[in-house]
Amino acid sequence: MASRPSMAKLLALPPSLRRTVFSAAQSTVKNPEIYDLVCIGGGPAGLSLVSALRSNPSTKNLKIALIDGQDITTTRTPSDPNAFSNRCSSLTPSSVRFLKENGAWDHINASRTQPYHGMDVWDGVSGSKIQFDPSDRVGGSILDTIAQAIPRSRLSESRKKYELGRDATVATMCENSNLTSALLHRLRETALEFEILDRTRVESIQLGPEPKDESSLDLSQWPIVTLPGERNIAARLLVGADGANSPVRQFANIPSHGWDYGQHGVVATLQLDQTFSEGEMRTAYQRFLPTGPIALLPLPGNKASLVWSTTAPLATKLKQLSPAEFTTMVNAAFRLMTVDINYMLTDASTNVAEELAWREPNTKASETGLPSYFPRITGVQEGTVASFPLRMRHASTYTGHRVALIGDAAHTVHPLAGQGLNLGLADAEALAKCISRGVEHGMDIGSCWCLDDYNAERWAANNAMLGVVDKLQKLYSASSGPIVWGRSLGLDIVNRLGPLKGALMGAASAS
Amino acid sequence: MASNPLARRILSLPTQLRCLALERSLATPALRQLPASRTYATYNTNFNTTSPPQSSVNHEEVSHFNALASSWWDPHGSSRLLHLMNPLRHDFIRKCANSQGGFQQEKLKFLDIGCGGGIFAESAARLPNAASVTAIDPTPEVIAVARKHQRTDPLLLEPNRLTYLNIPIEQLPLPSSPEQGFDIISIFEVIEHIQSPSAFLESILPHLKPGGWLVGSTIARTNVSWFTTKFMAEEVLKMVPRGTHEWSQYIQPQELREWARRRQDLDMTVGGNGFQTMGVVYVPGLGWKEVSGSEDWGNYFFGVRKLE
Ligand SMILES: Cc1cc2nc3c(=O)[nH]c(=O)nc-3n(C[C@H](O)[C@H](O)[C@H](O)COP(=O)(O)OP(=O)(O)OC[C@H]3O[C@@H](n4cnc5c(N)ncnc54)[C@H](O)[C@@H]3O)c2cc1C
Repeated sequence: MASRPSMAKLLALPPSLRRTVFSAAQSTVKNPEIYDLVCIGGGPAGLSLVSALRSNPSTKNLKIALIDGQDITTTRTPSDPNAFSNRCSSLTPSSVRFLKENGAWDHINASRTQPYHGMDVWDGVSGSKIQFDPSDRVGGSILDTIAQAIPRSRLSESRKKYELGRDATVATMCENSNLTSALLHRLRETALEFEILDRTRVESIQLGPEPKDESSLDLSQWPIVTLPGERNIAARLLVGADGANSPVRQFANIPSHGWDYGQHGVVATLQLDQTFSEGEMRTAYQRFLPTGPIALLPLPGNKASLVWSTTAPLATKLKQLSPAEFTTMVNAAFRLMTVDINYMLTDASTNVAEELAWREPNTKASETGLPSYFPRITGVQEGTVASFPLRMRHASTYTGHRVALIGDAAHTVHPLAGQGLNLGLADAEALAKCISRGVEHGMDIGSCWCLDDYNAERWAANNAMLGVVDKLQKLYSASSGPIVWGRSLGLDIVNRLGPLKGALMGAASAS
Repeated sequence: MASNPLARRILSLPTQLRCLALERSLATPALRQLPASRTYATYNTNFNTTSPPQSSVNHEEVSHFNALASSWWDPHGSSRLLHLMNPLRHDFIRKCANSQGGFQQEKLKFLDIGCGGGIFAESAARLPNAASVTAIDPTPEVIAVARKHQRTDPLLLEPNRLTYLNIPIEQLPLPSSPEQGFDIISIFEVIEHIQSPSAFLESILPHLKPGGWLVGSTIARTNVSWFTTKFMAEEVLKMVPRGTHEWSQYIQPQELREWARRRQDLDMTVGGNGFQTMGVVYVPGLGWKEVSGSEDWGNYFFGVRKLE
């Protein structure tokens, strides 16, 4: 919206002044419908916010509309029990607890989810490794120090639970579509008047009209959402759950700072040579390569989800490979030395299968850090190879007058820690809590008095997480020199120190 | 806001340390004398008064509030502390009601006296269990501010939900029968601005329904409250305009309790729950917090219940 600099400057004016500049355009809005909350975006963040509000006695009667440009009500989870969507996320225990509390977890198709109990992470250059295993999570003073160093993180809270041995799950893999359809089920189940307007793109968001006279209703500071068919909805609180390019964030003129990593995340659903039965302990694997981390996350049976962060040209190249070649390259990326991987990816004339066949026997696992029980990838599910650009973005605030941002609209994070979706769910939980407190105390839920606490609770916590993830990314992008030496030393020492490892692991599963 | 860095540092100290720092500063003779200069004669002389009701309003106070009127709804203006305190007012009303097993009736009729720009009145009117809110204030400017702000929320414009009247309590028509009275009457941050509080309180009681609660908040009159509200908030930190508080008009909780005990129509049964107080403290960075025992030296809420 604010693409031109002059427009951006206008938007930076206080709303009252802005209005006078835009008054000609705004007079078109007549008699808007009035809603307590309008949520733009029916992704995991938006849906979980609304279902949390519906599950709370204080907020269940709010008049809510949820708008999404896409078709979100038709289930897109593959009907074949052996096929999995390539958009999977690992849900931390605190995300699962939130989803249980708001009633959505009951509707999850559990046979399509996969908990995992350990994480094996190694450095692709030095071969140093760090194993994450819940049994390492024993108490120690270093842990507490780190827990306190990250402000408002739930590290200390989640750690205690592990120490008590109540939950040995690091995280649970779940397809985004499984999660969103469970949330939609939950919303239908509550059977309260509630409007889902999907396949409905927002045409514009603007401030309301000037009041007719001194005594009539004044919506001049209310956001008015215009939908196709000249439908206008005034929102007491407009929630932007509308993803990384958030139109709501642009309307509120909230700057979002960050950078592009120049990397793409290549995702795919893979098949393994080992089949795991339900209830078996599973491990997630991640190897840090100079081009970015590559991760293999377990799905039920013999399936796994791939997230391979790499340079944009290599991502394009990977997507053009045949399924067999792609499978070979994934095996190579986990098993070979980085020079060999680079050669295979950059030399157009190579036959990748042959290259792997002769290079692998000559590669020592002790040099690459490859875990002995690492599975072999045997195939890729058709049509699941896709990629998305990796960014780090953080909105300078999550709230404005009658506006709140949650999920990717507020922050975009590198996928190496698997936090993107979990941060969004934590936002939804915190915002729902603030809104219910607001309703119970007669606050205008669009006012700063209601929303300030949400911003205070989530912004700093997310900023700390974004910073840690960003630094890890930078640390592991170097392919030689002191950083590699330093970090291999670091990882080896870390591996010997149970408590610190526990802390790192706690950070990966807290949100 | 905090023009004096030293003062800001004192306020950001943990409470216990702050008390120590306060004691030190209050040890100077000039400050010590202040509590003694209180003139609070009206409290006794007006008790059981038979003279015709006069306006309870102190005219100097009215003109002072005119200066404040425009800043009621600015999030960073001088009313910020009141906005932050507002949720506790609702918590306190619930605490009063819960002491009697909750409200019997589903919908409550509120009267907010000295409503100012409408911070509490608006919030009460938004509650799902509010039948109606009548909010009065003798200052025309603040009522104008309140009405203007009311228009920015369509919910508050629903018929009967929120009615502002520019009158002092003495001009509010009495209910036709006690049952027509209000369930909750609130006087938040009002009595410290009133010259003759007992007469004022007595003019309120006929509007209260039997079984209803009169609730309010004010500041105890102690060295600490003088230091934090007159000296720190007004002079040093300039968080609220100078002259906002008339310190000699501050009232102690035990004075209120004493007043209530002498009334025949209030529920002051021995060991009963008809009189409630709750002390609150503003902690920089954390906001208002309930601190038990603090009613004797700082901001506190009080509630008295009318006998059924
Ligand atoms: C291809 C891809 C793969 C990913 N893989 C992983 C992964 O493996 N693991 C992981 O943790 N994270 C992954 N992420 C990130 C993760 O998906 C996001 O963090 C998460 O989806 C954010 O949820 P959200 O609800 O905030 O936003 P989204 O899921 O982006 O939802 C935003 C919604 O807003 C709607 N919308 C936007 N604009 C408008 C408009 N103008 N009008 C109406 N509706 C609008 C969109 O249709 C969309 O439904 C991936 C992201 C992408 C793009």
